[in-house]
Order: sequence, then C-alpha cells, then structure tokens
Amino acid sequence: MTIHILSDDLAAKIAAGEVIERPASVVKELIENSIDAGAREIKVETRGGGQRLIRVADDGGGIPASEVETAFARHATSKLNSMDDLFNIQTLGFRGEALPSIAAVARVTLITRARGEAAGTQIRVDGGKMLEHRAQGAPQGTIVTVEDLFRHVPARLKFLKTPATEAGHIADLINAYAVAYPGLRFSLVNDDRLVLQSPGTGKMLDVLVKVFGIEIARQMIEIRDWSLEIDSNSQSPSSNLQSPISNLHVSGFVSPPSVNRSTRKHMLFFVNHRWVQDRTLQHAVVEAYHTALMVGRAPIVALDIVLPPDAVDVNVHPTKSEIRFRDTSAVFRAVQHAVRAALVAHAPIPAANVGTPFVPRAFPASSETQLAINLHRPITDHASRITGTEAPISNLPSPPFQPPHHPTTQLPMLRVLGQIASTYIIAEGPDGLYLIDQHAAHERVLYEQLAAERASATSAVQELLDPLMLQLTPAQHAALETNRDALASVGFQVETFGSQTILLRAVPAVMKVSDPRAALVETIDEMEQGEEPLEKSAEARLISSVCKSIAVKGGQVLSLEEMRELVRRLEQTTAPRTCPHGRPTMIQLNVATLEREFGRK
Amino acid sequence: MKVSCLQENLAKGLSIISRAVASRSTLPVLGNVLIATDQGRLKLAATNLELAVTCWIGAKVDEDGATTVPARVLGDFVNSLPPERIDMELNVRTQTLHLKCARYDANIKGIDASEFPIIPTIGDGKRISLEPETLREMIEQVTFAAATDESRPVLTGVAAKFEKDKVTFAAADGFRLSVRNATLTAPVDQPVSVIIPAKALQEVGRVSGDQEEAIEMAVTENRSQVLFRLTNIEIVSQLIDGVFPDFTRIIPESHATRTVVSTAELQNAVKASSVFARESMNTIRLQVAPANELGGGKMTITATSAESGDNVGDIDATVDGESVEIAFNARYLADVLNNLRAPQIAIETSGSSSPGVFKAVGRDDFTHVIMPMHVGK
Repeated sequence: MTIHILSDDLAAKIAAGEVIERPASVVKELIENSIDAGAREIKVETRGGGQRLIRVADDGGGIPASEVETAFARHATSKLNSMDDLFNIQTLGFRGEALPSIAAVARVTLITRARGEAAGTQIRVDGGKMLEHRAQGAPQGTIVTVEDLFRHVPARLKFLKTPATEAGHIADLINAYAVAYPGLRFSLVNDDRLVLQSPGTGKMLDVLVKVFGIEIARQMIEIRDWSLEIDSNSQSPSSNLQSPISNLHVSGFVSPPSVNRSTRKHMLFFVNHRWVQDRTLQHAVVEAYHTALMVGRAPIVALDIVLPPDAVDVNVHPTKSEIRFRDTSAVFRAVQHAVRAALVAHAPIPAANVGTPFVPRAFPASSETQLAINLHRPITDHASRITGTEAPISNLPSPPFQPPHHPTTQLPMLRVLGQIASTYIIAEGPDGLYLIDQHAAHERVLYEQLAAERASATSAVQELLDPLMLQLTPAQHAALETNRDALASVGFQVETFGSQTILLRAVPAVMKVSDPRAALVETIDEMEQGEEPLEKSAEARLISSVCKSIAVKGGQVLSLEEMRELVRRLEQTTAPRTCPHGRPTMIQLNVATLEREFGRK
Repeated sequence: MKVSCLQENLAKGLSIISRAVASRSTLPVLGNVLIATDQGRLKLAATNLELAVTCWIGAKVDEDGATTVPARVLGDFVNSLPPERIDMELNVRTQTLHLKCARYDANIKGIDASEFPIIPTIGDGKRISLEPETLREMIEQVTFAAATDESRPVLTGVAAKFEKDKVTFAAADGFRLSVRNATLTAPVDQPVSVIIPAKALQEVGRVSGDQEEAIEMAVTENRSQVLFRLTNIEIVSQLIDGVFPDFTRIIPESHATRTVVSTAELQNAVKASSVFARESMNTIRLQVAPANELGGGKMTITATSAESGDNVGDIDATVDGESVEIAFNARYLADVLNNLRAPQIAIETSGSSSPGVFKAVGRDDFTHVIMPMHVGK
C-alpha cells in the first residue's frame, strides 16, 4: 500500500465524524453558533429524529454576504484570532469545524442576513460541494437547514437509533441549553409537534418549569451565587502548584432529596454557560446529598459554574462536552459546599412515602410525596403570582415563576405521643404526624448548643472527679495529636500519659451523663475516618463528631419527659429538620395522607 | 390456700414490695407477687432478679399454700377496697385467687408459685447491725451522687466499707463524690468492702421509715449478694462486681479558702440562679470575697444565660483565706445542699479549677466533692 494524502472529501468526512456523531450533534453545533451570534430567539425544528431535517433559525448577528462562503471552509471562525484567545475562550464555539463538518455529511441550506445589510444570502451545499450561492431576501439572523444527514456516510446512518431516540437526544440538548440560557427563547418542534418553548425571561426557574414541570420546579432549592472561599491552606496538591481559583461562582437549582431520579441524566451542569457532562461535578453533587439519597438515585440539578476562562480547558474534545479544570478539587469542593449549604438550609421534612398495597387504584400512590410537601408551600402566594400584574415578556401564557418560598425552618409545636423501636419519637403537630429520629434530633440540638458556645467562646467544661485513662491505637493517637487544640476548645482536656495512653481530665459540660471515655474514643475515630468532608473548619467537624458520639443513641428507651424535652429543644434550633451530618431528623405523615390511606377521601 | 388479713396490712405490704416487681420482663412470673403462708403469717415477695423484697404481714391462716398473681392487678384492686377483712382462697387447679372483702369479690388468675424464683436468705452467718436512723441518713447523703447511666456500672453503686467500728459509704458519678462515715454500734470482726447498687440502698431507705430496731445486714459467702433484714421485711440485692475508684485520693487534703455560709441561704440563692443557669449548661458561678474594711465577707452567686438574661445573688459568708471564683453545675450544688442536714455549710476551695469540697459545719462525718466547671479556652 502506498502512503498518500487523503482526498479533501475523505478528510472532511473523517473530521466530521468526530464532531457530528448523531443528529443532536448537528443541533448542538448550530445552536451554539446561534448563541455566539447573539441570538435572542432560537427555533429548532426537526423531522425524523433530525435525520431527515434539522432547521435552526435564529435572530442573531447573521453572516455578512461576503463571508458566507468562507464560513463553510474548515477552520474558519470569527470567534478566535490568536493563540492567547484559545486560553481565554468566551464563546461556545471556536474550532471552526461546525459548518464544514455538517456540510460534509449532509445537505445544508443556509439563509442569512447580517445586521445592517439590505439583502440576505442563500447558499446550498451538499456533501461538501457548493451547489448554489445567491442573494435572497431574509429576516435578520441565520436559518440553517440540514437535510438527509449522513446520506453520504452509510456507516453512520446504520448506527443511528430510532427517530424517537434521536429526537429524545435533541430534546435533552435543547432542554439543557434552554436552562443554561434562560434569557434566550428556545423552541423545539419535532415532527410538527411543539416539544419545548422556553419563556426567555432570564430566570432559570422559569425554564425549569418548562423542562421538568411545575410540580418539580416548585420544589427546587435555589443556590444563589455561592462563591468559593479562598482557602489559603488548601490541601489539594494542584492548588499548591498554581494560584487557587479566586472567582468561582456556583448558582442554580437542586432538587430536595425527596425528588430524585434513577439516572444522572437530569443533572445539568454548565461551566461558563457551556453544557458539560463531567463526572467530577456529578460526583460532587451526589456527595453533597450524602446519605439523603438512596443508592442508585440521583437528584435533579441545574447548576451554573462560572469561573475565569483561563481556569478551565474546553479544548479537550471536539464536541466540547468534556472539559478540564485547572483545579479540579477546588471546583469539587465549591460545588459540594454550595449544594450542601442549600440543602441543609432548606431541607423540608421528607414526607413519608407510604406504600399503598391496600389502597384502590383511585388513590394514586405516586402523588403522595407531592401532596405532603405542598402543605409546606404557601400556595396562595403562587396563585397570586399568576394573576399578578407582571406580564410575561414572551408570547407565552406561562407566568414568570418565582422561586418557591420555602417555609420557615421553624417547627410547629409538637405533642409527643410516644416512642417506637426505642429509636423514633412519635409526635403530633398541627399538620399531621411526625416521626423523629431521636439520635439525629439530639445531634442537632447538641450541635447548635456547642456551636453557639464556641461562637461566644463560652463552652462550659466539666472536670472529671477521677481522670480516666485510655489506651489508644497509634492511629487514634495521631488523630488526637492533630486535633488536640480543637478538642480542648470544645472541652475535652487530655493529657499524654505514656506513649499510647492518655488521661482524660475534663469533658464538655453537655455530655454529663454519657460515658466520657467512649465518647472521646468515638470522637477520635470520627476524626480519623473524616466522615465530614463538608464541614469547613476542623472545629466544626469536631463539633459534629462530638455530637454524634454523645447524642442519645437509637435503641435507648426514653421517658416521655425526656422525649418532650428533646422535642422542645429541637423546636428551638435553627435547622431542626436535619442533623449536623445532613440526614433528616424527622419525617412527616400529614393528615391528608392519613385520610387517603384510610380511604376517607 | 385459705387465708384472711386486713386490707390495710395487705395494701401496705404490697406497696413495700412493689418496687422490686419487674416492669418489663420476658419472664411473666416476675411481674407477679408471691403470696404464701409462712408460719402463721402471710409472705409477700417480688423480685426483678437484681433486687428482691420480701414482706410478712399478720394473717389468719386456715390452710397453707402459695401462688403468684399479677402485681398491678392485685395492688390496684386491694388499694380500692374498704379497710376491712380480706378473705383469700386459692383454687389450686386453676391457679385462681379468690378475694372477698366486704361486698367486693374478685378472681385473679395467677401463675403457679413453683415458677417464682427462689429468693435467697442468709443463714446464721456474720451479720452487721446498723442503727436505722443512721443508715437512712447515710443512704440519703450518698446515693444521690451515684451515676444513673449504666456506662460505668461500678459508679451506679455505693461503696460500703466496714472496718472495726467504722462504716463508710461513698458514691460518685464521675463529676462528684459523696462520702459519709458513721460508727457501728457493734464492731465487725472482719473488714467488709462491697459495692451495693444505689437503687437497692434507696429501697432500704424507703421501706425502713417505721423501723426502730437495728437493721441487720449480711453479705453472702461468695460476695455476690447482700441482705438487709428489717422487722418483717427482707431486701436482697445483687452486689456490683468491680473496683470502686480510690475516693480518698480524690478528696483534697488542703485548701486555700474556707467559706462558711448558711445552708438555707445558699440553697435559695442557687435556686434563684438555676432559673438562668439551666439554659447555659447549668453553670452557676460562686464568687467569694473575704471581709475587708468595707464590710463582712460575702458570697456572690451568679448565672448568665445568653437567651434569657442573668442574675446575681449575695449572701453573707465567713471567709477564711483569699477571694476565689469557681463555677459548679447548679444541680450538683442543689443536691448537696438538699442532703446536707446541717444549718451551715463549709466550702473549701483552692482555685477555680480545683475540686470544691463541701462539709457540714459542726460535724466531720460528711464530705462532698464537686468538680468545677470552666469555660473552654
């Protein structure tokens, strides 16, 4: 075989193969162009899952008549000029491969009129060959029509899934971009059916209403511009080499743990408004939910991560859905903290999802979660919004959706009824039955108490009558040494007594009744295993470890009096619904659910 | 079994043994009381396997026999009967106890007496004779300091030490220590040192209210059980196996300041401060200032709560030594003040992080130590 240079046509088709995998890739390239062109409205129409027809019309800047032909040349772009720009990319596209790649594998018709030009241009390209180029009247913007995709590439054609699947991919894509660019109006019509119309109000939540439905959107928890605190003594190795990322902002919406999905498909991440699929980010979010989610479930998430363009490398893959962060761990931490903070702050009581084996079909089980949580939402507030004076900007009937007003985190007055399994307290509130995990509840109470004391530098320490001797393993001893100051600050006064033996002289005053030795060992173990990657300071971490070790355990029989006291103190905490580790302290069964379960309604 | 007794006697007997009834046991018979005829008297007994209480009441026995019936049912029924004669007859075949009192009749279903655990008695072994009033006081002044949670079982007990004509009771819960000494009316031949569950001692204290004769105490040969014999009442308890901390080491030998105040005044001041202390880990601060040219010595009692506010109380004090400031748990202070049994209390301290020693002024048989609290650095 002789070595020869590939023909232009073949080279183009190979290159196109990298960029254009399936119809959704075409849509992606085209709408990115539209967005980069400053479009306000992007209309996408597909037929046959995009294989027969994809039409993307925008009202963006358009292409000047003189440049239209160049646009179809490989590596032709208006978005990048010099090498420096490559590391400071502000646009979605920059490689200059989209149009030529598409043109190489399909029949493309482009109609465009640049701003300020009197006449537009129409150009037709088939399989990379220019068929027609003429002036034509057109609205400002660009309309790209792609027909018979992969007609010249039968191998690709064979690998296409059913039109419905391909249409689904396109819908996912448009959904994601609509969420990423809430200020733009996206519409998607597939086989003459309107699939999505985003309102373009500039509010992400309004788009989420369209994408996930109002019931889910109203439950979403907003993260308002959470920015990373610069941790100067960050331990991530990468940040030692380079300056830490200083301008990292995380915003968006996350679902409460009670709303979840079996796939991670509904976790949308945008890095500088670019839709990316990044395992690090997914992992960071799932970590933030910690144990609140069952294994194998994923939350619904739409997060926009904004960081300086030089802190992220988007030029990793031709489709740009994979990216690299300069400081992955900083991004990881930021996302995790942001999501965590939002969850902990807003965590509503998860409604008990009672199995309904005995309930006739007439009572839909699936709506239970919904109903329960709705009780916490001021529905009147929402209703008044709809009839409000604020007219929607778009031509759509959808009202601008306000972020759900979360209920105050305060608990209602609860009446303790009893205890089950020596672990859960049953209590009655004005809106139904509460099941309270005594351990988690006590942890929360202790945590706030200790944290408040620390904040006011008044943590009370109770000295022990007789110092207690403890034998520690070397690992425990090391953990103790590193945290000695923090331990002392919460009240554990420890003295070294021989190589692996210590003397415990004083304990935090809150833990008078427990076994001090066991509590200290448990605290040390907790610190050693570092179960709390989420807390900021060593001290906060320590406090939550201490709480875990000294809180009343499950399986401990409590008297009615003790339970009342615990619930009363829980009512006074600022975040009574979760324990310091983020697990729920209570679940609620509201009266409506009970009535339905008993077939009264 | 056929027996008659007075309602008052039966009700009282049942109340004496009631605390030993197992409330939640997997063994149903432990929720029952044993009723048996015993040499012309009626024997009532209950046990939860840790503690057993037996009580004898006067009765007219027509026919010997024994059975067990549910403690709650019998107790509640007897308590609602008029103060007259109760006739009891057991149907052995059905183990049903028939009760008749005035115009009331009842049939209570029981469990065969053979299923009831055998309650040990102590033969003619060595006995220690205790004066009831002294024993009651010792129990009161010591048991409150015992631990209530089971994490260190030894601390739920009272260390009792008998040597020659001296007896010492001590209890500690890790944060405070109570020690009470007394003199025995009859010296012991052999020193005895055991750990008695505080609950058992409290039971002895509770049922010995009417006791005038000496209370006899005996420890089984294997040192696993202790028996207290009162008139018509016997209490048997398991002993706690273990080593009690050496409390003599804990009591400081010297002090820098000795403050004497009125027990009642301090009690009141502590009660007032507790209102605020309960929201701040129960911390109460005592400031002691010796007499100077401006006035006599005084003790200032303060508590501060971040939420509800603060308070200050002043009481007169006779201060011997430097001024001192020390913080204690309010509950611990209240406990010692309630059990001191002396009009004046002496508090010996050597600084804010040294133990506080509390003594009854005018007597040297009671010592109480409370570990201080302080603010973490």
